[in-house]
Amino acid sequence: MIKVRDIVALLDAEVLSGENKLDEEVKSVGASDMISDILALTQPGMVVLTGYTYPQVIRSALVTDLLGLVVVRGKNVAPETIAYARENNFLLLRTRGYLYSSCGKIYSLGLRGADAGKE
Amino acid sequence: MPERNKLSRYAVIFEDLKAGDIMSTRVVEIAADKKIAHAKELMKIKKISGMPVVDENRRLVGIISIEDIIHALEFNTINDPIRRIMSPEVVTLRRDDPLPAVVDKFESYKFGRFPVVDDDGRVCGIITKEDILHGILEKFNLIYIHDQKRTSTLDTEYSSITGEKLNAGQANFHYRIDSGDIDAAGSGAAMLKQFLAGKNFHNDIVRRVGVATYEAETNVVIHSKGQGDIYFYQDEDRFIVRVVDNGVGIEDLDKAMKEGYSTAPDHIRERGFGAGMGIANMKRFADKLVILSEKGAGTQVEMIFYLPTQTWPLI
Repeated sequence: MIKVRDIVALLDAEVLSGENKLDEEVKSVGASDMISDILALTQPGMVVLTGYTYPQVIRSALVTDLLGLVVVRGKNVAPETIAYARENNFLLLRTRGYLYSSCGKIYSLGLRGADAGKE
Repeated sequence: MPERNKLSRYAVIFEDLKAGDIMSTRVVEIAADKKIAHAKELMKIKKISGMPVVDENRRLVGIISIEDIIHALEFNTINDPIRRIMSPEVVTLRRDDPLPAVVDKFESYKFGRFPVVDDDGRVCGIITKEDILHGILEKFNLIYIHDQKRTSTLDTEYSSITGEKLNAGQANFHYRIDSGDIDAAGSGAAMLKQFLAGKNFHNDIVRRVGVATYEAETNVVIHSKGQGDIYFYQDEDRFIVRVVDNGVGIEDLDKAMKEGYSTAPDHIRERGFGAGMGIANMKRFADKLVILSEKGAGTQVEMIFYLPTQTWPLI
C-alpha cells in the first residue's frame, strides 16, 4: 500500500494543506492542467499532478472527491488557493520536480493511472 | 395531425432503438392473490396508473390499471383479490422489439403501458410513452430550438425530459450564477454538492451531480454572457438539475458536442478551462441530459440522476 507520505518523501514535497491525510492510501495517479480532464478522470483515492494553481482547481477537486493535488515545478501557489484548500481540509502538495519527472518517479513506485487495465 | 401518426412517422428514424434500450427497469409489480386495495395503495405511493400482475414465480399473469381500481371502488369489491379484476390478456413486448413495433403497440391498443417480458415470461421492464420520449431524447442528446417556439420551450416550467412540472420556487436548492466572475465559477456546484453531502445519499451520485453541475455552471460563466441559475429538484427516485441562462445560446451544436472542441478565449484557457469536455462530462456523469438552446436567447441544460435502484419487494 502506498500512502500520501510515501509520495511526499519521494518527491521531496511540501505539504501546503491537509497534513492529516498523510496516512491515506493513494490508489491511482493522474496529471493534467485541464479542469475538465480532472473532473472526468478522477477515481477513488486519486492524486493529480498539475501545473495549475488557481483556487479554481481546489474547487473542482472537491467537487469530484479527489484525494489530493501535487503542484509541480515549485510554482507559486496563491495564498487564496492555500487558504481555500485549508478551509476544506484538502490535501495540497508542492514539489520542485517537473511534471514528467515527478510522474515517472511515482510510476516507478507501481502506481498507475486512470487508464490502467483499459488498454 | 393526431399525435399517434406523428409518433409512427418519426419512429422509423429511430429503428435501431430497441424496447430493451428504452424500457424502464424499475418495474413495480404486484402478486395476483393480493387485494385490490393493496394495488390501490401501491399505485398511490408510486404515483403510477397501472402495473403488471405476477404469480408466485414472478411470471406475468395480468395487468391492473387505475380504471380497474375505480371500478372496484364503485362496486365495493376493493377487498377482492386482484386476480378477479385484472386484465389477463396482456399485450407484451420483447427486449429486441424495435421502436416502430413499440409505437405500433401504442397505436393499436389504447393502453398506457406495455410490460417487456423475457423468455420465462418474467417482467424485465415496462414501457410508457414517457419512456419512448426518453429514448428518443437520449438518442438526440441535444435539441436545438431554432424556431419561434421559445416561449413554450425554453421558458417552460415543465421538464424537457419527463414533462413533469418543475416550479423554480419549489426547487430544493437554488443558486444564482454570477456570470461575470470567473473566479467564482463552480461555486454553485460546490455548494450543491455540500448541500447533498449532508443528506446521506450515496457518494457516487453526489459526486456525479457535482461534476455535471460544475461543467454546466462553468459553461454559463464562460460562454453565456448572461444571467444564469442552477435549480435542483429532489424526487423520490431521482434528482433533476436544471441550469438555465438567458445568454447568447450555443452557436454550433454539433461542434459543441465534440470532445476537445472549445470556443473559450485564451484568458479562460489559462485558467484550466476550455478543454472542450464540458458537454462530454455532463453526458458521462448524468443519466439523462437534454440541452435546449437558441442563438441569442439562452440555453437550458436539464440532467437527471437516478438514485440507486431498489428492488421492490413483491407484495
